[in-house]
Amino acid sequence: MQLQQLGTPLTLFLLFAFFGITFLISLSIGRKRENADNYMTAGNRVGFGVSAASMTATWIWASSLYASATSGYTYGVSGPIHYGLWGALMILFIYPFGKRIRSLAPEAHTLAEILYARHGRSSQLILAGSNILGSLLSLTSNFIAGGALIAMLSPLSFSTGILIIASGILLYTLWSGLRASILTDFIQVCGMLGAVAIIVPAVYFLAGGQAIFEQGAVNLTAEQQSFFSSDAFFNQGAPYIAAVLAYAIGNQTIAQRLFAVREDMIKPTFITATIGYGATVIGVGMLGVLALYIGIEPLDGDVNNLVPQLAASYLGVGLLCVFFVMIIGSLASTADSDLSALSSIMMADIYGRNVAKGKANPKLMLLIGRMTMIIATGIALFFASNQFNILELLVLVGAIWGALVFPVIASFYWNKVTNAAFTISVLSGLAVFFAVRFEFVQLQGALAIGSDVLASAGVGVIAGLMAFGFFGRKVGLTLGVVAAIAVLPFGIGFLHTYPVLTASLLAYAVSAIVCVGLSLGNADLFDFSTIKKRTGNFDKTEVAA
Amino acid sequence: MSPSFMSFYVLMWPAAVAAILFVLVRAFGGEWKKARRLGRSLV
Repeated sequence: MQLQQLGTPLTLFLLFAFFGITFLISLSIGRKRENADNYMTAGNRVGFGVSAASMTATWIWASSLYASATSGYTYGVSGPIHYGLWGALMILFIYPFGKRIRSLAPEAHTLAEILYARHGRSSQLILAGSNILGSLLSLTSNFIAGGALIAMLSPLSFSTGILIIASGILLYTLWSGLRASILTDFIQVCGMLGAVAIIVPAVYFLAGGQAIFEQGAVNLTAEQQSFFSSDAFFNQGAPYIAAVLAYAIGNQTIAQRLFAVREDMIKPTFITATIGYGATVIGVGMLGVLALYIGIEPLDGDVNNLVPQLAASYLGVGLLCVFFVMIIGSLASTADSDLSALSSIMMADIYGRNVAKGKANPKLMLLIGRMTMIIATGIALFFASNQFNILELLVLVGAIWGALVFPVIASFYWNKVTNAAFTISVLSGLAVFFAVRFEFVQLQGALAIGSDVLASAGVGVIAGLMAFGFFGRKVGLTLGVVAAIAVLPFGIGFLHTYPVLTASLLAYAVSAIVCVGLSLGNADLFDFSTIKKRTGNFDKTEVAA
Repeated sequence: MSPSFMSFYVLMWPAAVAAILFVLVRAFGGEWKKARRLGRSLV
């Protein structure tokens, strides 16, 4: 089947129109003298509509749309659920912790900054460092997705594509930071969600409607036709569940929106973003299911080509433009959030708390934030032009964040956790993770059994933390223990055969056990009310005015 | 699974997306009007 293309003038028109409109929107909120704190938190009083749209837009990135369709194509009807549902739940599960974090530090800028107030420098820098790495990789991944899309749908080259995308995003984010990011997110989410609502039914009907399922069932294996596919669960769903809390806790982009939204609007914002993300990503995943039923072979054998290939095969020029805007919107909204997150970390965590030590110059702080955006864009462009396998690195960062989850959450609730307990537990979790993930240690014999027992404990830690957030300590502890014991009989002799999953579970288990072990004996109890005093605003200009 | 069930399964997601989009646009519209009335910026 011939692939529809957009042509150079139309592609350039769409790109310039998209980035031109977002730039004009950011100009409308531009201030001659930007406030350094507002640049990072948008004033802590953003309403439900803007916040929910921004949260949804930030979490839907081009790679998640492609990966959901790949999951549908690979694992069949349950594939998109095992991708989109867990991805959506990661937003929901941070909600109770988010409320706690906001109540402890209403004027904070980053999670790492709160850890500085709670523990000290080493804990702060561990989290800030992982955030920087994660955001840089995410930024690169979005540039690659944009370049690949432009190269596939137009005569423009990949390099030209990433350059236009990177310049466009930097242009509208540079001046107003998070304020520009969340306001333009609304327009981008309208484009994305509107496109999904139109394109999925359009491809379904143009490809043959109900006849796709009448004639195409022979293309699916029994596993692919099942909603309860164990193949889909163990290869896609289970590793994702392990990553759910890690991404939510470790990623600064979601924390930044948590600090931006009005405190009484946190709950509806998170619930709406959960449903919005889930429906959108699973919806696009249905394109992969359709491709599987139709019997389409991915171009060049690369499943990442599946979504644009399906669009170019069945959509006319008009709908192809809508599809193009959907993907550009998804990658731009996440990339501007990454730029904004990176600038906040450099402004608050590196300069504000470590270099200036409470005597920050707001003007210099803003300059550092803007310079960070420019440098980060340059680094991401370099990575993108070399086409590293960013997705694998990103999955790795997600797993590294697994070692941070328990110590971070425990630090916000348990007054016995110390800086040493935090740092040692995270480093222990990481050491075990790397040893297993990269097979420095062969899991055989007694070591395999020990690993399976610990990995089962990791399942208990994840289940316990999720329940703890919503139902408190007793339910969390009970569910954690029950989950670990329930998994144990099935896990022993089995879990270590999935090294990616096992490495993540071990990171959770080891960091939790070490953190608890080192904290239990601590008699010097922390006073949580001091966090609020240590995380105030840097820039008093607007307050004085 | 019947073809009609599969059709419903595929099409229910874009329908849910449209509903969420409606909620977001309505909320944004209200906030925009309020901000204009009070002479404040949305963000």
